[in-house]
Amino acid sequence: MTLAQKGRWTTVVALVCLAAVYVRALAFTPVERLQGPAQKIYYLHVPAAIWTETAMILVGLASIFYLFLKDARLDRFAEASAEVGTVFATIVLTTGPIWGKPIWGTWWTWDARLTSTLLLFFLYVGYLLVRGAVRDPGLRARYAAVLGICGMCLVPFIHLSVFMFRTLHPQPIILKPSAPSLPGSMLATWLFSLAAFTLLYVGFVIQRYALSLGREAHGGGSPGHV
Amino acid sequence: MGELIAQAWTVARKDLILEFRTRTALVSAVAFTALVLTVFNFGRDPTAVSTIDLAPTILWVTFTFAATLALNRAFQLELENQALEGLLVSPLSRTSLYWGKLIANLVFVAVVEGVGLPLFVLFFDVPVGHVLVPLIGVIALATLGFVAVGTLFSALVMRTRFAELLLVVILLPFLVPPLIGAVQATARLLDGRPLSESVGYLKLLAAYDIVFVSLASFLFRFAVDE
Amino acid sequence: MSEVPQNASYMVAAYVITAVILVGYAVSLYRRTNKP
Repeated sequence: MTLAQKGRWTTVVALVCLAAVYVRALAFTPVERLQGPAQKIYYLHVPAAIWTETAMILVGLASIFYLFLKDARLDRFAEASAEVGTVFATIVLTTGPIWGKPIWGTWWTWDARLTSTLLLFFLYVGYLLVRGAVRDPGLRARYAAVLGICGMCLVPFIHLSVFMFRTLHPQPIILKPSAPSLPGSMLATWLFSLAAFTLLYVGFVIQRYALSLGREAHGGGSPGHV
Repeated sequence: MGELIAQAWTVARKDLILEFRTRTALVSAVAFTALVLTVFNFGRDPTAVSTIDLAPTILWVTFTFAATLALNRAFQLELENQALEGLLVSPLSRTSLYWGKLIANLVFVAVVEGVGLPLFVLFFDVPVGHVLVPLIGVIALATLGFVAVGTLFSALVMRTRFAELLLVVILLPFLVPPLIGAVQATARLLDGRPLSESVGYLKLLAAYDIVFVSLASFLFRFAVDE
Repeated sequence: MSEVPQNASYMVAAYVITAVILVGYAVSLYRRTNKP
């Protein structure tokens, strides 16, 4: 089975798992009394946010290793992780406001998670733009790696500064968003969703990686050995 | 170490001499700063919102623009005359090249800020005399952060099309954490609050500077080598 | 005891958009891989 096919199968399995999560979340998980059905958006929003950030950290790690090892596989992986991270960021940034409107009464709230994800989104866009703007594969990989490492190092500062900023602007306390300690069946749904998103990340990255590989084989030029 | 400083100073001096000979970039940046401050004045209703509330934001948006302008010219000179190749072939280390550029950029931005701050005080009638020293400290810390990352990134985008635009796009997420620290600290200072209240933000700024100056300095070689 | 808020339409919207984005991306990957 080619790499692309493996990726496709993984993605299909992941989408099936996601469908199962949908069914479980929508039909078999209790409705939260204070927030109502809209609270269920949480089951998609948070796993997506977790993977948006993890994908960025992985881009950073791959970038560090690329700069020292010059292994093209690392560069391909970074590119794939960045693109997939952008997709997940889009999910967070669309489900966030849809959740915010009924809960906080406003589409955008500058809450910690949304703000951090917005900044991550810009980081991803910048990274992909730089990749798009450099012709030479070796140079592209190197420049992208520099940006990737900086992006990864920025993440803790994003969290810190957003946290400090937020403690000045308390969220409208109409309803507290779901506490970390979810009751049993809600927690299970959340965990299944996280698993589905993890599988989606893996499937998408494999496919995107295979795509890069295919493009190089068709004359794109490789950024390093292997 | 002494070697590093000497080399960096050589690079910085060259840039600064060039800059102060023609002065066009400097004058444009200063004029631009004055214009931005003027526009801000027309964008608000002085009877509705007190200046003191908006002051930190106005100041920092202006300084951010100024810093970006400065960075855009950072590598233009080298590119125009293929001077960069000459610099790279010379025995100058990449790190000294970075520090030289950083120093030159910092001086440039400092001059612009040096004109901008009094203008700001004048246009918006904001008393800063009693907090001038800590304010300058905050300005210095934040500016160092912007310019450190920006100097690295300007090398990265140097050879791409739409370099100036790309620079701003990739730089923006990196400006947010120091901006949060700077605006909050400035707000507290202008408000007459004791310095102890801004300590968290000052630590944020300092940590950012330490991390990103070192990181940028180290990664610079990957951004300029062929 | 207050009523549970009636905001199911938001939930549906969010779930639909997420599905569209994910399936859309999967399709995009598939098509890009099959037409070099």
